[in-house]
Amino acid sequence: MKKNSEEGFDSLFVEEKRGSVKYIVVIIILSVLALTSVYTFLSVSSVRGRMKLAQDQSQGSPQINSSLLPQLKEKAWIESRIKMAANDSIGLSIDLEQRRIQLELKGVVILSSKIRDFSISGFFRKMDGNVYFNTFGTPLTIQQFTSSIEKNPLRIVEAPKDTIAAQLAADAAAKKDSIADENVFWTVKLDRDFDLDIQGIDSIAEAQNKYKLGKGFEFERNLKNVANSFQHILRFTKPSYTPEILISIPENEAKAILRALPRKALVTIRI
Amino acid sequence: MIRNFLIYLAVLFAGILFFASMVLFVIPAFQESTVVLIGLSSSSSESGVDGTDKESIEADIKKLQKKLDSFTPTNAYMIVNTSDNHFFLYKGKQLIRDGICSTGKNEKLVSEDRKYEHIFHTPFGVRKVLRKATNPVWTKPDWAFIEEGLPIPSARHPSRVETGTLGKYKLEIGDGFMIHGTIYKRRMGMSVTHGCVRLLDEDLEAVYKTMEVGSKVYIF
Repeated sequence: MKKNSEEGFDSLFVEEKRGSVKYIVVIIILSVLALTSVYTFLSVSSVRGRMKLAQDQSQGSPQINSSLLPQLKEKAWIESRIKMAANDSIGLSIDLEQRRIQLELKGVVILSSKIRDFSISGFFRKMDGNVYFNTFGTPLTIQQFTSSIEKNPLRIVEAPKDTIAAQLAADAAAKKDSIADENVFWTVKLDRDFDLDIQGIDSIAEAQNKYKLGKGFEFERNLKNVANSFQHILRFTKPSYTPEILISIPENEAKAILRALPRKALVTIRI
Repeated sequence: MIRNFLIYLAVLFAGILFFASMVLFVIPAFQESTVVLIGLSSSSSESGVDGTDKESIEADIKKLQKKLDSFTPTNAYMIVNTSDNHFFLYKGKQLIRDGICSTGKNEKLVSEDRKYEHIFHTPFGVRKVLRKATNPVWTKPDWAFIEEGLPIPSARHPSRVETGTLGKYKLEIGDGFMIHGTIYKRRMGMSVTHGCVRLLDEDLEAVYKTMEVGSKVYIF
């Protein structure tokens, strides 16, 4: 009898312990869910806030007839390219409708490349006519470049002391001519507060492999976003939201465009 | 005790994993969808913009397109891609020839002893053919001697004059830059020049015969 009551007491203790384990597990799960919900709410409200701001900024412009939107977009696209042609430096025109990205100089297309793949934020797909023309009606200006390769590389070479050193330098330079296998991606911040990301890929499969290996553009960008996101979570502030356009084009053309564009180049976009 | 600790650890780890995947993939994907923007009304109307109609917009488009097309030269012009070391020769909108070339090596030659520096770079932008010549003679500038580790001769010294190096033709495009031939054919298609655009013999002949003085050269 005594023995039985001792066993009963022990089993009660074990049950109590199990109960506390359950509580802690439930608390952890609830905390994670609460944190995720708060973060999701803040993330969604930042997107909505961005759209509301864009709509407020476009208020006062004449109402756009939605049935004429394709024609008005075409007109805005050409007008914007003409404005870009007035500039003396190289500009970039991106036509997502025709899947083409072009370098233009004084109105002349100097490089035209087929876009292999692209993705745009829902923000752009949900734009109404007024917000569209407010955003893309005139050329945008690049504010900042970030790239995986040097934008304008310039090697500094010390002049040789004599003809023998000159010959050695020439031989060494000849050996460096092999083309490096570079992973090309770059992003620019545009003056109407959105990002344009260009990724050099020679096939869609290559882009996916790069992503898996952690070399691709999206992987690096997402990783950076995590650190940024955690800071916002800790402060319970809205994470910043920047709509973006991601374009994949052949690697050599991604490189050529990066090198050709001036730091404050104009960009014209049609979606 | 250890068992409980492992349970906490596993749950915590699963929670972190869940949260990280939400922050990294699910929430950004959700942000990029149009679902999050539901309810934000569109301000487009069905009543036209300032009384414009389809016909007048289409007429405007035609006019604007014509204006944009007028920027493209009707005579011959050349485009040089320094990144790929490739050139394109056009007449109007028609491509008549293309091929490899060699452009600037993007180097800065520095001589501290002689207090001299020079950048070997093909300048971007639009230029015009200023002069054309056959069997050009190259008057070597100072950097050519500095680069070879030689003393700089006087301005009119005979060692500055070199024949054959530039090929059969040259087209001057300003600031000392030229389109010319080369004796270093093995290095064509590479960024190895001091800023000039080097072409192979047949391409150079075609370019020389097609491009007039005043023809435009677009370099990027």
